[in-house]
Amino acid sequence: MIKKIITSRDFILFAIIVFGVVVVGIANPFFVKPSSLSDVLTDTSILIILALSQMLVILIRAIDLSVASNLALSGMLISLLSTIYPELPVIFFILLSCSIGTFLGVLNGVSIAILKVPFIVTTLGTLSIYRGLIYFVSDGKQVYSSEFSEDFLALIHYKFLSLSFLFWIAVAVFILMYILLNHTRFGRNLYSLGGNPDAAKYIGINENKYIILAYSLSGFFAGLCGYLWVARYSVASTQIAIGFELTVISACVVGGISVMGGVGTVIGCTLGALLIGFIRNALPAVDISQFWQLAISGAIILIAIIINTKTEQRKEKTIMVE
Amino acid sequence: MKLELKKISKFFPGIKALQKVDFKLKDNSIHALLGENGAGKSTLVKILCGVYQPDEGKIFLNNIEHNITNPLESLSLGISAIHQESVMFDELSVTENIFIGNHITKPNNLVDWQQMERKTKELLGNLEADIRPNEKIKDLSIAQRHIVQISRSLIHDADIVIMDEPTASLSQKEIDELYSIIRNLKKQNKSIIFISHKLDEIMEVCDEFTVLRDGEFINTDLITNTNKDKLVTYMVGREIDQIFPKKQVKIEQEIFNVKNLYKKTQFKNINFNLRKKEILGFYGLVGSGRTEIMKTIFGINKYDEGEVFFKGKKLKIRKPNDAIQNGIVYLSEERQNLGMTGLMSVKDNINMAVMDKNSDYLIINQLKEIRNAEELQDKLNIKVSYWSQLAQSLSGGNQQKTVIAKWLSTKPEILILDEPTKGIDVKSKSAVHEFMGELVDTGMSIIMISSELTEILGMCDRVVVMYKGLVKNILDVSNTTSEEIVKLASGE
Repeated sequence: MIKKIITSRDFILFAIIVFGVVVVGIANPFFVKPSSLSDVLTDTSILIILALSQMLVILIRAIDLSVASNLALSGMLISLLSTIYPELPVIFFILLSCSIGTFLGVLNGVSIAILKVPFIVTTLGTLSIYRGLIYFVSDGKQVYSSEFSEDFLALIHYKFLSLSFLFWIAVAVFILMYILLNHTRFGRNLYSLGGNPDAAKYIGINENKYIILAYSLSGFFAGLCGYLWVARYSVASTQIAIGFELTVISACVVGGISVMGGVGTVIGCTLGALLIGFIRNALPAVDISQFWQLAISGAIILIAIIINTKTEQRKEKTIMVE
Repeated sequence: MKLELKKISKFFPGIKALQKVDFKLKDNSIHALLGENGAGKSTLVKILCGVYQPDEGKIFLNNIEHNITNPLESLSLGISAIHQESVMFDELSVTENIFIGNHITKPNNLVDWQQMERKTKELLGNLEADIRPNEKIKDLSIAQRHIVQISRSLIHDADIVIMDEPTASLSQKEIDELYSIIRNLKKQNKSIIFISHKLDEIMEVCDEFTVLRDGEFINTDLITNTNKDKLVTYMVGREIDQIFPKKQVKIEQEIFNVKNLYKKTQFKNINFNLRKKEILGFYGLVGSGRTEIMKTIFGINKYDEGEVFFKGKKLKIRKPNDAIQNGIVYLSEERQNLGMTGLMSVKDNINMAVMDKNSDYLIINQLKEIRNAEELQDKLNIKVSYWSQLAQSLSGGNQQKTVIAKWLSTKPEILILDEPTKGIDVKSKSAVHEFMGELVDTGMSIIMISSELTEILGMCDRVVVMYKGLVKNILDVSNTTSEEIVKLASGE
């Protein structure tokens, strides 16, 4: 039993993160101060949320490349609106951002499930379209921090148990996803649909419905992160989160979400996001040049994947008892 | 009448899969659905499961007409199908596979894992199956997977259970267990549609039969009113004099010898020899180590101790290529996964293992490839419409022949066949058997793993009986009985 836990993918990931924190802590004690670690967690929160929602899509053998563009478009729309109606409550903007994101997600889902456009083509297309729309709605201009209302920016910086509100939102999403994927029919059917689509059809799982729902949820959380991103960095521009979808997908893959579908855990996915968040924060902390940072991130991702594959290898069944 | 299909037709582009087929299933009946591959059995099953909708015809359940438009509807009408392996969820647990699509939920709508696990334990206990509920399906044997599928249909409380070749990969003991489960289902007032290629078991277990041929209804009757020969005639439309046309050949000297082969947790004390022109059978339960031994001899797996001699010379086989170079080839049981590349043409599949022989200075000579393919295609009677036809579009029998052709290209001396006729129709089966006879006549030796006792008795000269990784005995086929073999194979 203990051996099973220790050799599990999730545990190995966890061990790598702890080991990494210790090593970096030795090199730069400042990095392991509670306040610094809390900053790392805050910095990784959005990645965790997006990785978990991306996981829903990857579980059914698809990918959502449009998340970062969706995030940016939702974020830009509510930012523009908040400059016009600064008196509206923050919760309104959050819900609006989530709604816009969901709508954009539904478009993806409908294109894939109903119009039968392959998911890569659909989301690659909407990646550009959503990004392009940002230029259209904003005229290419930025919304600066001074243009936001104070409430709009303050919410996510409140602290609870000396951790930011942003991080607690990620924790809430984690709990929600854990329940969704392990304890609801919806979640379990995602696993079966990804694990064996043909068989899922035989037991009456409506594939199209699940594709649309998974993409809608992915869109919903992209929309949520749209608000979070703008509030955290106090700026909305055409360039926000550009290329972030690749970081999100890396986090999923490092976390052991199989792109072949049907395999992966919420804990693994979260650990994957934490590992990548940690790397991104730790490398500057130990004075590694910008040039090396990318290469090292890439190498660490590859190593994590190799370890994943090793732990996945099947053992032979025992035939003969000696 | 539990189920009645009237004049069901289904057309696919260019194919009449079913033409005005009638089918009647009585209460408390085990009904055999017979026909060669491509006769329309699976189309009929898919219509009953709601995967396909018929183009013509009506479906009556308990005398009420129903339109089954999707799989969920079929399930809710009490129709449950046990398909072949492909419909399991490998990465999910036994419990979840049983309850999939039908999860038990608590009042708050969350999945009730505890209750599902308890019910699974109970269910598996009733079936006397040694399977842990939290095991992943990928770790189970094929027989265990079947039991999980049967449990699934029990959970659905199905009225009509369709079993598509449930015994295809099971060995005798497991089959007997399955029969008792089936008879038990019948006692519980369920009707069973039983699809199988094995006529013996149809005679043994079924009450009625319906035969389809080329999408058309041929005959239906009580099993007691027919016999195996008649059934074969209905299916193929012509008499097959002998299902096992064993050619009599004179067996020559020993050419292959395995001594004390041992692999931890897999098998021990494996001793046997093979003579030129001999067909040596390997019989045992699925999972008794037969396949593992052959994979080891072929160099796919490594062994811990023991020696292998070929023509008196000690062989060191570390990888499959070593075996192939020495003239030993192995045809896997999983022909789809390990035997051929479905997206490559028949010709390319046949030539896959001999590309170096077909090449001039590293460039593949297409003409040699075509000549080789043509020769083997002729010899094996592989039916292809055109050269570039993809292997995956062939029927099961022709796929198997393609795999055999691929290995014959290497001009082997020892051919190891792992369940060579599993799941292929009677005609192709008899062609494979006939061909095995011809091969040994030309001087080849064959080792054949089979779970079908009649095939072992009909084809082999001697049979090695295995039980849990041990060789129980090596018997002369002319000098033994099926009872003796079954007893040895079940460890008695």
